[in-house]
Amino acid sequence: MLKSNNSKEETMGLYDLIQKNKKLNFIDAKTKVVKTFADLHESLDIEDLRAVVFIYNDNQLPAIETFLNFYQKKYTVALLNAGLHPAFKQNLEKEYRPAYIFDPSRTEVEEYELKQVSAAISVFKRKEIRLSPIHGDIKLLMSTSGTTGSPKFVKISDHNLVQNALSIMEYMPIMEHDVVPLNVPINFVYGFSIFTTNCIKANTIVCTDRDVLQKEFWSDLAEYGFSTLSGVPYFYELLHRFGFFKKDTPSVRYFTHTGGMMNKELASIISDYTQIYDKQFFAQYGQTEASGRMAFLPPKDFQTKGTSIGFPVKNGRFEIDEDTKELIYYGPNVSGGYANNIFDLQHYEHTDKLYTGDLAEKDEFGYYHIKGRIKRIIKLFGVRLNLDEVEVLLKNELGGQTFICISVQDKYLGVIHQDAALLRETITQVIKEKLGLHASSVKNYYFDQVPLTVNGKVDYPAINKHINENENSFAAAKTVLG
Amino acid sequence: MSTTQELHQVFATAFEIPVESITADLEYQGIVEWDSMSHLLLVDELEKFYNVSIPMEDILEMGSVDKIKAILKKNGVEIQ
Repeated sequence: MLKSNNSKEETMGLYDLIQKNKKLNFIDAKTKVVKTFADLHESLDIEDLRAVVFIYNDNQLPAIETFLNFYQKKYTVALLNAGLHPAFKQNLEKEYRPAYIFDPSRTEVEEYELKQVSAAISVFKRKEIRLSPIHGDIKLLMSTSGTTGSPKFVKISDHNLVQNALSIMEYMPIMEHDVVPLNVPINFVYGFSIFTTNCIKANTIVCTDRDVLQKEFWSDLAEYGFSTLSGVPYFYELLHRFGFFKKDTPSVRYFTHTGGMMNKELASIISDYTQIYDKQFFAQYGQTEASGRMAFLPPKDFQTKGTSIGFPVKNGRFEIDEDTKELIYYGPNVSGGYANNIFDLQHYEHTDKLYTGDLAEKDEFGYYHIKGRIKRIIKLFGVRLNLDEVEVLLKNELGGQTFICISVQDKYLGVIHQDAALLRETITQVIKEKLGLHASSVKNYYFDQVPLTVNGKVDYPAINKHINENENSFAAAKTVLG
Repeated sequence: MSTTQELHQVFATAFEIPVESITADLEYQGIVEWDSMSHLLLVDELEKFYNVSIPMEDILEMGSVDKIKAILKKNGVEIQ
């Protein structure tokens, strides 16, 4: 890319950059409908307001079309998980009073009327739209946790998104003829960056919510000839189980990943595969607060440095706090802070500094390595869960008693309670219903006394140590016994 | 010969839900409990219970209770 070109692109908005890609078209995997970008451009009958819009995204073409239409206008768009529990949806709508809601899963929403805005698309329009001030830089709202229904959104500007897309495109080998599946939901910031970068440069976007355990995913892969695949570590584990890495899939040139390190065995299998079949694997590191990616590991280093997050993306840099060892990121993609309610949308905090909440080290060759977390956040199957939010959720749902949530072996949500009569099923039911997490991801423990610190606060380190040591010795015993 | 009741019990164990909630028309992703993660738990449970090994290409076909019966039959387990 030429420098002069670059500086021009940096002054363009995201929508204009996408519109500049004249070859861009979209396929809906389920219906096989094909639309060019021109077909989607200003295709919905909506007015132009500076107001909040909720899009419950299922990654299918109507959701994508609706997103692009609202984004092009003055709206601030919140991209939300379509599978969110209905009670959570109502809470969020009460808090932010969106002017429009796109949600094909519902037939009615109180205080809204269903309005047909194109031949195929209907949205809920608020009967009485009362505009409240929104800072002009806030274009996109993303949830920090996909499932807990927390009203906490990250405020992202168009500038953030353009800057991050251009930084990613510096290293990602996107080509003009590429066919790219949206196999990560765009309501996750990782999926969203796959969407933006490929809309700017690739040829065909395949809109889909199919996963590798559905045979349609594999027939789509063969039929459309996907150029790339993306996913969290669990996605790669599934690919491995399907024998994907034993043979070549010629259309696929490169893979992208985020959401934490893969286990060593799988990393080595993928590394061998990429060498035999001449593929590229991009391990990445990012956060919603950074509007996307912060670092990537060059594919050539994957074999030897597979546990590293590599180097910062272009125009970004890292610093490690000397005392706390916390990783701090600086870059133009750092978002404008959080919103917990509609009033927080009046401000956008211009900053280039982000405390990541991750502990990091820089090795002698300059590679960065994540060593742990400061924030109480765990990732289960690539989905981020804030443990403090889960504690509040359980407390609210189960009669106000106190729960303590921790990460167990980085694989399970550990729930500690003090009610001897409380059944495991009662806990797993809430977790399942409200967070969509399977019961097998939950480990529950009854403590008659919770260890406290001298200040009378819950002693998380002591609890963590106690439970994780017990679990480890249990796992070890199981291995020995077969 | 195995029974449908036994099969439903295997589902219930894999998904950690009551056996009454397993119905003949249940489909993959039709309930929150049956997702990409629990699907492989179900495969493990089926393999253990019926002492069979289900090939990966069959796993993709296991989109409903009925289809799973057909796959088990193909692998030598008849369910009445």
